[in-house]
Amino acid sequence: MLDVALVLLAACSWIGASLLSLSGKLDERWSRWLGLCGALVGILGAGHGLLGGVPSRLDFPFWHGTARLESDALSAAFLLPLHLVAGLGVAYGKEYWPLNHLRGTGRSLRFHFGLLVAAMTCLLVARHGLVFLLAWEVMAVCAFFLIGTDHELSEVRHASWVYLVCTHTGTALLTAMTILLARRSGSLLWLPIPAGPSPLDGWILLLAILGFGFKAGFLPLHFWLPSAHAGAPSHVSAMLSAVMLKMGIYGILRVSGLLPAIPRGFGAALLALGALSAVYGVGNALAQRDYKRLLAYSSIENLGIIGMGVGLGLAGRANHDPWLVALGFGGAVFHVWNHALFKSLLFFGAGSVLHATGTRDMEALGGLASRMPRTALLLFPAVLAVSALPPFNAFLSEWFLYRGIFASLSSGYLWSAALALVALAFTGGLAAVAFAKFYGILFLGTPRSPAASHAHDPSRAMLLPMAILACLCLGTGLAGPLLLPSLDRIVAVAAPGGSVPLGPGLGTDLRFLVGAETLLLAVAFTAYLWWRRALVPPGRAEFRPPTWDCGYALTLPRAEYTGSSFSDAWAPVLPGLKARIRRLTGNFPKPVAFRSEFRDVVGERYLGPRMERLAARLLRFRRLQPGYLSVYILYVLLALLGAFLWMGLRGRLLG
Amino acid sequence: MSLPSLTVSAQWVLHLLTLLLLPPLIPGLINKVKAVMAGRSGPPVLQLYYDLAKLARKQAVFSRTTTWVFLAGPVGTVAAGLVAGLLVPFGHTGTPLSFEGDVILFAYLFGLARFLTVLSALDTGSSFEGMGAAREVAFSALAEPALFLGFAALAKASSSLSLSTMLLGSGLGSGRMAGPLILVLVGWAIVFLAENARIPVDDPNTHLELTMIHEVMVLDHSGRPFALVLYGASLKLLVLGALLMDPVLPRAPQAWQNWLLFGAGLGALAVAVGLVESMSARFRMTKVPQFLLAGILASAFAFLLLLV
Repeated sequence: MLDVALVLLAACSWIGASLLSLSGKLDERWSRWLGLCGALVGILGAGHGLLGGVPSRLDFPFWHGTARLESDALSAAFLLPLHLVAGLGVAYGKEYWPLNHLRGTGRSLRFHFGLLVAAMTCLLVARHGLVFLLAWEVMAVCAFFLIGTDHELSEVRHASWVYLVCTHTGTALLTAMTILLARRSGSLLWLPIPAGPSPLDGWILLLAILGFGFKAGFLPLHFWLPSAHAGAPSHVSAMLSAVMLKMGIYGILRVSGLLPAIPRGFGAALLALGALSAVYGVGNALAQRDYKRLLAYSSIENLGIIGMGVGLGLAGRANHDPWLVALGFGGAVFHVWNHALFKSLLFFGAGSVLHATGTRDMEALGGLASRMPRTALLLFPAVLAVSALPPFNAFLSEWFLYRGIFASLSSGYLWSAALALVALAFTGGLAAVAFAKFYGILFLGTPRSPAASHAHDPSRAMLLPMAILACLCLGTGLAGPLLLPSLDRIVAVAAPGGSVPLGPGLGTDLRFLVGAETLLLAVAFTAYLWWRRALVPPGRAEFRPPTWDCGYALTLPRAEYTGSSFSDAWAPVLPGLKARIRRLTGNFPKPVAFRSEFRDVVGERYLGPRMERLAARLLRFRRLQPGYLSVYILYVLLALLGAFLWMGLRGRLLG
Repeated sequence: MSLPSLTVSAQWVLHLLTLLLLPPLIPGLINKVKAVMAGRSGPPVLQLYYDLAKLARKQAVFSRTTTWVFLAGPVGTVAAGLVAGLLVPFGHTGTPLSFEGDVILFAYLFGLARFLTVLSALDTGSSFEGMGAAREVAFSALAEPALFLGFAALAKASSSLSLSTMLLGSGLGSGRMAGPLILVLVGWAIVFLAENARIPVDDPNTHLELTMIHEVMVLDHSGRPFALVLYGASLKLLVLGALLMDPVLPRAPQAWQNWLLFGAGLGALAVAVGLVESMSARFRMTKVPQFLLAGILASAFAFLLLLV
């Protein structure tokens, strides 16, 4: 009872916070504190569940039956990042998006933010198809309003509408899945289905992967994601990317955990899909000029990596390989946590930069490390973590996945593991390129515009959440072995009866790994101290000349390497990136311009024009909408008549 | 002189001493070979030791554009190189630090060193160094899959994810492994040349900044940080060289013989690199990706041969 009560209390606090923010009389502080309380209670509840609390449940009558709320380790695994990021987001949002910012959009932002958190909390504890779908829908609609916060910009409006259409397509698939699941198990309650093969299993899993895949942004279903994340306020982007996308992963894990057996082929397919998403996401992240879009594409990459883990786990279940199940699901959940930590840190940092400079264009920035030293220092762990470099957290979760991929290779039944291996290695390399670009162009060098040269660090209220996340990134990287028991509990829920504990097989290696990472830090610190001793000889002033630059005394910011030229080597393999260059001709050429633009291959190049054509054709039906009330009443009458006719004739027609 | 069989701790001490002290010798050897091939007498073999000692006494000059990130490159390169050196076996002599999955740490440590070097190059704000950084990340992203596919092939062959078992395991001796092993070594030789910025990928001696990759990134370093850069580069030669030689080094009955074999192998590798540098020119920049793709393909074929 304890966990689920705590979680419900957290949800209630968030709802209360969102309602309080509507009141014009009360001080904003109350709503914020209530939200923070909710976050704290949620973290407590989730932490208790992860540290070995027994799953607790609450049954209540609902729609001709009983519905169940239950908090187990799998729910807790997703509740933890949800409440952590939400709590830090509320603290960050106070300064980042003040209540009266942009004609009072702050109020709507706070209202929907609290509601979004409450909806996701309910979704994670729901064990009833209808309750789940309701919570899912509230989450989707809140996210729509949050993405459209800055609704006076047409690109933001467009992004939020595209998101709304996508999420509802996903919901339609999930509704179908819920119906099939109810037919399979005989009730809307989500209980483990007793063993016994059924042809429905494959369909349920397919619909789950498609429907939840829309939310998780797997490859062809990702196109709503970049503009939505780029246009939303930064702490909302953090919330969407670090938590909401993961609801798709949660859904796949939860629904597949209900099924008694996994049909063959799904694991390998999801592994391959995740591998493709990862490479596609990181490749496109390289091409971006807008640094928030870069982060959004990197989310597609990371969700692909998580998808690879889930695919490995499903393959392990289908092939009755408990070690592979543990490595796959364990690695996936671990990466969910890590991605939540470093991606929210990156979005908070991007928000600080946006706050200080007012531009999302990378090429207008530069040199922020000396102007925003604290932000630059706090983002440094995040860029190392997102490139999966040791000693930070994401390296450990990718290490789990490598172990899983090699395990499936050496048992020799998973061909897509070979693809996944190459993809994971290549993704790591490309992520390093993308984030060297992100950090290098934003923070290093000299400023490329006045906006950048006058930037300054944000206040402590915005820096503190970032500092907490940065410490957690390093801490999780060094405390990996301590997390194994919690991961075991989660995997046991995601794959009931089909997994082995990670500890005996992985514990020693992981301790050695963490030891090597600690050694790395120690050696780096020693090398730093050695340099430090020779910093400036006493009695001599420090000499700071301009950059040598092969003898050019004046370094012009205009001559600096830009982000586009940094990633130019990859331009030929990025189909979304199109450059228009006019050649110089004649003896006295006219001035020419160079222009390059990026449009997503699936969303903007393929679907966009087709959708516009479809919309133009559908305009024909406008004739049915003449604007007279009497005509509409006629429609109602016709519809009723039709329904009666169908009811009367059905018996005769169908026998 | 005949040594008794060495104890484990003595092996570790030897490993550590080799790792710390030997690296600057390798560039010296390579340069000597190049000089002899060109008919010059060349700098002494110990030149890099002298250079390091000189740089350690010099004051570092920092451009006013740079921040603390500028220092992360040299410091990170050395730290990553030293830890990677503890993971890789120096011939059949035992590894101080070995566990299942250390090969992934090994590969990612080089990624870390590269990432930090690139950031410290971008920190100067110089367009030359930006150009070098862009080339470095582009080429190394191609070198990485070649390295990994080679690891995958060896992991598949030895059913292990630990470097010492993979590189020195008994499975390598069988006839079935000969073909894949040659392919892996070809792939890794290309990675070795690319990662160490040697001809034909990069020219460590050129003074034309526009054609350089790795050297151009460290143009602004001086004093002790530059000493760390040079030392880190030689460390990389040793560690990746050990990786390349391990599968072909025979196992001798005595520990001291194994050490001698390793030293001889390292010398042979340095001579080979010197010969390649004397006899070939640097590729045009556009050719380099093709060269690296050849490395990927070689490793991929090795992997495929073992997979079926």
